[in-house]
Amino acid sequence: MSKYLILPAILVIMAVGLIPLFVLINYAVQTPYAHENVFVGFGNFQKVLTDQRFLDSLRRTVVFAFTVLCLELPLGLGFALLLYEKGKLNTLISTIIIVPALLPPISIGLLWRLLIKTAGPIGQLATVFGLGYDPFRTASHAYATILVMDVWHWTSLITIVVSAGLAGMDRTPVLSAKTEGATRWQIFRHIELPAIQFPLVFVSLLRLIDALKIYDEVLVLTAGGPGLTNEYVSLLIKTKSIEEWLVGTGAATSLIYLFIVLMLCYALLIVMTRGRGVI
Amino acid sequence: MKLTAKTLVRCVILISVILMFLFPVYYMFSVSFSSKPHIEEGALVPDSFLGNWIDMINGYGGIGGPGITNSIIISVSCVLVSLSMSIPAAYAISRYRFMADKHLFFWFLTNRMTPAACLVLPYLIMWRALGIWDTLPGVIIAYNVFNIPVAVWLLASFMAAIPKEIDEAAFIDGYSLWGYFRRIFLPLIKPGIAVTSFFIWMYSWSEMFMASVITSVNSKPLNAQLVVSLGRVGWGVEYGIASAAGALTILPGLILVYWARGYLAKGFTFGRI
Repeated sequence: MSKYLILPAILVIMAVGLIPLFVLINYAVQTPYAHENVFVGFGNFQKVLTDQRFLDSLRRTVVFAFTVLCLELPLGLGFALLLYEKGKLNTLISTIIIVPALLPPISIGLLWRLLIKTAGPIGQLATVFGLGYDPFRTASHAYATILVMDVWHWTSLITIVVSAGLAGMDRTPVLSAKTEGATRWQIFRHIELPAIQFPLVFVSLLRLIDALKIYDEVLVLTAGGPGLTNEYVSLLIKTKSIEEWLVGTGAATSLIYLFIVLMLCYALLIVMTRGRGVI
Repeated sequence: MKLTAKTLVRCVILISVILMFLFPVYYMFSVSFSSKPHIEEGALVPDSFLGNWIDMINGYGGIGGPGITNSIIISVSCVLVSLSMSIPAAYAISRYRFMADKHLFFWFLTNRMTPAACLVLPYLIMWRALGIWDTLPGVIIAYNVFNIPVAVWLLASFMAAIPKEIDEAAFIDGYSLWGYFRRIFLPLIKPGIAVTSFFIWMYSWSEMFMASVITSVNSKPLNAQLVVSLGRVGWGVEYGIASAAGALTILPGLILVYWARGYLAKGFTFGRI
């Protein structure tokens, strides 16, 4: 029965994906008290949800995710439409712009830290023009840098996915629309957009989920600084649960965060399986 | 006249794209080949100083050395381990309809999407209890949580393109399942295996968050070492050595980008597009 060939993968995913979840739940409902764990029910969740530091970081993370999506989506779509026509130049450009998507996020963080430090090219330019740019002391400058860095890193993902969608579409309606005298905008709005709807929604959700998980780049760039002004949820969880070893509240925070991500995952599933099977 | 204007525009676009996307990468390499005073001057051209790379390869200053071998061992083993479990699973998924296959799919999807931040605490506790904390197998096992879901659905999308009739004909001709896999099926999905291996390798090579928690001294990969060294703010960060390590981590991606560009959309979307 080759149907059972699926079992090894399922067992491994259970071991590394499901059991940790139960461990999290186990720790989230307890709190250490005099060398013993005491059951506290939803006490830890209550504590987390009234903690201003967590609420701030959550709001910051959600705002960040939607902001980068709003920046990357039009840019990526624009690139895809511009690079649609085949040619040596377009192939070269599309190869160059996907370079960041293949690099480890941590190296992207290091790359940008090298650029923005006072002796780096961007730091020097800012000094020459007297912009007063200082991401290591001013929160808004650090935030802007993180936004630019994320756009630099991931815009090409939207471009390649949309390009793949465009490449698979039937071009005859476009040609007939052109002969009928349709404008570029009309062609895009009524022919191309419906055809790339699936890849577009798909990649947007993917980007949204990945943006909620941001960790490596921010950690290397300013370590969530200056102060706590750019602390995103994953940085908060790392500090709370690993560095300060507050296992109960750390686990509760993780579960709340996981719940939000899973809701978006469910939306992604609905998009992925609409009108087709799971393969 | 029209032609020259067009060429000019194209040149400007190309140059600005190269400047925007390749200059930062160049700058990291440049810093890695510069001596410390040279970096502090902010020079854009390296002074051909090899000290950073030598220090990094020997592991002075806590970056590189064993970290490079650890990174290579982890990423290559991850590919082998995940493939050995994903190929059978993907075959089963592409050939049979499962009860509740949507739920199964959702479950796998959630594992790929789970933030590493939610997993580090349970892994730290579990791995310590099991005695595999700070060992290479511990890291390799942990990475399966992201790798297997991606690999299964990516492979299944390649396998779905191969008609079932080939299986049936092979089994009628007397092939065993294993013989069929080895002689017929695996050669047919070679491109799929190559793309999947690349993606598993890329995740495992890039991952840093979990590695930084579930390893300490014996099995830290290069990425996790990099974070530790960049976090030593008071000591003054050794940008030269850090850049050499960073340059090493981005090198494979740079080499493979031309080959990988056609498969990226498929790989990032679980073979859906």
